[in-house]
Amino acid sequence: MKKIRIHEEYCIGCHLCEITCVVKHSPSGKIIKTFREEKENRPLPRVRVEEEGYVSFALQCRHCDDAPCVENCLTGAMYRDEKTGMVLCDEDRCMGCWMCVMSCPFGVAERSKDRTRVGSKCDGCVGKGEVPPCVENCPNEALTYE
Amino acid sequence: MNELHAPYLIIGFSVAGRWGARAIRENDPGTPIVAVSDERGWYSRPLITYVLGGKSRGVDHTGLLFDATSLAVLEGERVERLDTINRVAFLRSGKRIFFEKALLAPGGVPIVPPLEGITERGVFTFTGKGDLEKMRQFLEEVHPKRVLILGGGFIGLKTCEAFMHRGFEVTVVELSSRLLPLMLDEDGSRYLEKALVQAGVKVVLGETVVAFEGSGQKLTQALLRGGKHLPVDCAVVAVGVRPNVEWLQDSGIEIRKGIVVDEFQETSKKGIFAAGDVAETRNFLTGERNVVAIWPEAVRQGKVAGANMAGTRISYPGSLPLNVLDLGGVALVSAGLVNPPQGGGFEVLVRKEKDEYMKVVLENECIVGIIMLGRIEKSGIYIRLLRERIPVTGFKERLLDPKFGLVNLPREFRKSWVEGVGVEV
Repeated sequence: MKKIRIHEEYCIGCHLCEITCVVKHSPSGKIIKTFREEKENRPLPRVRVEEEGYVSFALQCRHCDDAPCVENCLTGAMYRDEKTGMVLCDEDRCMGCWMCVMSCPFGVAERSKDRTRVGSKCDGCVGKGEVPPCVENCPNEALTYE
Repeated sequence: MNELHAPYLIIGFSVAGRWGARAIRENDPGTPIVAVSDERGWYSRPLITYVLGGKSRGVDHTGLLFDATSLAVLEGERVERLDTINRVAFLRSGKRIFFEKALLAPGGVPIVPPLEGITERGVFTFTGKGDLEKMRQFLEEVHPKRVLILGGGFIGLKTCEAFMHRGFEVTVVELSSRLLPLMLDEDGSRYLEKALVQAGVKVVLGETVVAFEGSGQKLTQALLRGGKHLPVDCAVVAVGVRPNVEWLQDSGIEIRKGIVVDEFQETSKKGIFAAGDVAETRNFLTGERNVVAIWPEAVRQGKVAGANMAGTRISYPGSLPLNVLDLGGVALVSAGLVNPPQGGGFEVLVRKEKDEYMKVVLENECIVGIIMLGRIEKSGIYIRLLRERIPVTGFKERLLDPKFGLVNLPREFRKSWVEGVGVEV
């Protein structure tokens, strides 16, 4: 299974991965519309840049082998996709028990803005192209897909 | 057919039983498994409060399904007696199952205190699908307005949340001087109480119900120990659950607070294992033996039991009490030792905001307990630090920072955490 790899040595902390991710998952899929008009229903980024001093890196779901978010999900919304091996979330089945938020050892599962469901689960941009846009748009190869 | 042979028998087929079956399958793909469940259909027990509150359409769980060819499930059946010498399970229907190895995972049952009027119509326990069905029917027929929840612990407050969400007048009566006494500390309880009161819930502390009173077919009031009467139309008794072990009285299996198991989840009878809300295990932090009746531990214990039953020796690191709750939009996470004993050499870090509370308990520079209330994001990182006993020396002063993240960890941990050992970049 191909994974998004994180290279903190190359991250410049530009947050373009976050921007790209929000746009890709926004209703319009257009950058200006997303940030000017879709303030209410603009999704959370599913990748987060963590920064401390001169260190920064972009972090998203690691698709753990024994994923605690899958094991502890009360509905089965969080599941492993048999074909790709990725951990995905069926957001229709999520009803906000926050077991994944508590269980994620990377702290990347966040509540959605309206606090009704998990809002930050990386979906690897399934069906949205070969290389995930956050990787594609990283200007310094701080994210790679391999 | 009144006699069955089961190389692997699983008694109780919910979270622990299913994870057990899965681990057996992974380690021993071909050998048949027979499971016995007194429920019909697989569903997620904790979902009943979400269905009641209108947040979830149903109680179905879409994970942990099994290929029927590898597994026979006897549903609506109950094991009444276990003969551990001849390895026979006697079922209510008269069937007998001769087994080689067994996993006992029958879960817990709600504690029903012997209160006067406990059998009044309108007084419920609320832990299973059957309770949900009865409650829904009752709500439809009787249209109650005032609901009393007896017990301000985890199940009581989850039930409270459901009724709050639907706009009922809710009163929570808790014997302790504060809410969620096991999951929270004094300050945390006050934050939660404030949020509940703001949301319109009446909280009565240091009190309990001594009798429910009704007039014919209708519950009318609850009598409190202090002599006060509370008018109510519906009551949920949520004072706790206990391991479902009565049927094992004559089995010779050692039972204390629950079924006693070793680190392989094996009971005092060789080849018979136990997992989930029925098992008494060692606490990961304190070493005390206790029943930790929560979903995540049922998963972990089920996995360990199943693997060992199938011959793969793995051990359970010990139970860690933890949970997460959302009450009227106020979310909270609690894990480990949140009320450390005085003078035990613990260090406590606290951050208080208007609507946020955070507490980290340290022992020998390692996290042993955490409370996050209001903001629960990244709680999983602290819990991982706790489980892996990683010293916080060097980043201790950052632990309470809302921006705390992997970036604050020493490089060697951070690197292997995100890419796995051996693939660090």
